[in-house]
Amino acid sequence: MSDTTPEEQLVERRMNRADLITGIVFTLLGLAIAYWSWIMPRLEVRGIHPATVPGLVPGLLGLALALCGVVLAGRAVANSQGARFADFFSIFKEPEAGRFAVVVALALIYALVLVGLIPFWLATALFVFSFIFIFETWASSNPKPLPRAALWALVQAVIVAGLVTVVFEDGFLVRLP
Amino acid sequence: MFEGFTLLGAGIAHFMTPEGLFNLAWASLLGVVIGALPGLTATMGVALLVTLTYKMPPDQAILCLMALYVGAIYGGSRSAILLAIPGTPASAATTLDGFPLARAGKAGMAMGIATTSSALGTLVGIAFLSLIAPLLAEFALRFGSYEFFWLALFGVLISGRLTAIDDPLKGYVAGILGLLVAMVGMEGLHAFQRFTFGISSLGGGVDLIPAMVGAFGFAEILGVMKDRVTPKLVTSDDRVLPRLSDLTRYWRTTIRSGIIGTIAGIIPGVGEDIGSWASYAAARRKSKEADQFGKGSVEGLVAAETGNSAVIPGAMIPTLTLALPGSASAAVLIAAMFIHGIRPGPMLMQENPQFLYQIVGILLLSTIAITIYGLSLTKLLVRVLLVPREKLMPVVYVLCVVGSFAITQRMFDVYVMVAFGLIGFVLRQMRYPMAPLVLGIILGDLLDVNLRRGLLISDGDVTPFFTRPISAVLFAVILITVLMSMSAINRGVANVFKRFSPNGAN
Repeated sequence: MSDTTPEEQLVERRMNRADLITGIVFTLLGLAIAYWSWIMPRLEVRGIHPATVPGLVPGLLGLALALCGVVLAGRAVANSQGARFADFFSIFKEPEAGRFAVVVALALIYALVLVGLIPFWLATALFVFSFIFIFETWASSNPKPLPRAALWALVQAVIVAGLVTVVFEDGFLVRLP
Repeated sequence: MFEGFTLLGAGIAHFMTPEGLFNLAWASLLGVVIGALPGLTATMGVALLVTLTYKMPPDQAILCLMALYVGAIYGGSRSAILLAIPGTPASAATTLDGFPLARAGKAGMAMGIATTSSALGTLVGIAFLSLIAPLLAEFALRFGSYEFFWLALFGVLISGRLTAIDDPLKGYVAGILGLLVAMVGMEGLHAFQRFTFGISSLGGGVDLIPAMVGAFGFAEILGVMKDRVTPKLVTSDDRVLPRLSDLTRYWRTTIRSGIIGTIAGIIPGVGEDIGSWASYAAARRKSKEADQFGKGSVEGLVAAETGNSAVIPGAMIPTLTLALPGSASAAVLIAAMFIHGIRPGPMLMQENPQFLYQIVGILLLSTIAITIYGLSLTKLLVRVLLVPREKLMPVVYVLCVVGSFAITQRMFDVYVMVAFGLIGFVLRQMRYPMAPLVLGIILGDLLDVNLRRGLLISDGDVTPFFTRPISAVLFAVILITVLMSMSAINRGVANVFKRFSPNGAN
């Protein structure tokens, strides 16, 4: 461990806490799945063989997941080497977290709200425009002047929206949302 | 034997039509472009193209998908050499020697060598595919429910073990999660709906294609856009066309890497990246110029590019004969074959023997296509690499949304895509491999149905799972795989070997 940089050590400490959290989550999830599989109907009325109940495989998989979760969490505790939850949560304060949040927000608004609510080409044009505009100005280390960025983003948005709509509906004969 | 050649000739001739050649040309070029663009992988490209080609005739659709797959695995070498960023994970080992060569002003030579090595690697793999696949298919006719249960379990476990070398536990967790996803929806034995929680859209289960588009498309977009740095392009104007001596000098490395790549392809869920790393490591061990590896060794470049391309035909061996995907992209291909009414598995050679040779024909034609593109379209591909990600990624995401929607025309599949994208991104950040997850989704049904059908046949008795000869072998392999991945046991075994070996174990 001595030949690692402080940054790498921070990543390892973060990973350790992440493993602890996910280990606990997987254990609980595995046990929940095993329980659901246990209470799943055994279809006795239909007279099926008791070794073929629908809950058999999911139950076994749930137990296997819980076992892996216990090992994962246990290993994280054993090798913690001073890792704290503060290390893990500091990940949300980095600039990458901001960029990530913007992409997720744009993607979710487009796929879950706009598509279906307004015509597909308009939703697509809006999405592409906002994506390019935000990442070429606000989220860029070398921001472009606002009017120019807006103009080019608009041009690309219109082209993409038009092309995708035409190519998919007429070229590949696919129905659009 | 002679019949094989006739079928092979027919397989190639089948696609020598204007329509076939046109589809080959655009799909393989699209593949090269997708592969070259960092953030767009072969698996994602194939998954998206499934949704676009599902109205085509089956043979032409499979042609497009395979050509795109071959093109994308090759295309990844472009960005590996010029940007030091692998265009797809398959080209990670290519960056080690490709980028130093480009910096030394030999970018053209590196691109040329990468092209010919990819072509030769695919050819070695094709040879094994046409030799092994018919034999394996015949052998697999003896498999019953017991064997298929172990085979499905083996596929998920070995993929988990080998795609997460540092931490097999995470590979296993990914595999189990995939299997659990496959449990959702109607099960195959009694038509009972599991884990649907009253959501009627879940009744048919989670479709593989939207899940893959999410896990390999949306998740990748999130990963690419998150980072702030943009890479610098290094290129030069030297000769791209390699000399014949460049090709013949490393013939041993080419053949060795081709064989290693094919084996990596045959192992379920172990894909191009592992094939490339394994053949790179083997070449360095055997090389006379091992000290040059990582500093711009042509031999290292040959090993990496031959290794990853040989995986594709290798992966088709279990894919076609056992319906066990040899790589993540092959898993998508299986889903695509089912959509088009082709059922891969031991019966394929009985029901549809010409299909195997059509696949061989497609691989041969795609190899020719990437060689032509690779040696001629240098300038165009450099221009592709200059497209900024801010402009590219929104378009890719639009395609992810349309692609998920296209097959069944349900918004539900778009939600599946988004969910798998977010989950896949988080899992990837925590170093969980994606291939076992995918294998789990596609093999879950096989595992579930065959375990319970086996138990039904044996009236609840588990002994046939351990006493039938092929089952016993598969069980032993699985047991050894899992035990050896536990570090305590692994160390113990290594110590035993050390005691008996005069040189010490390594």
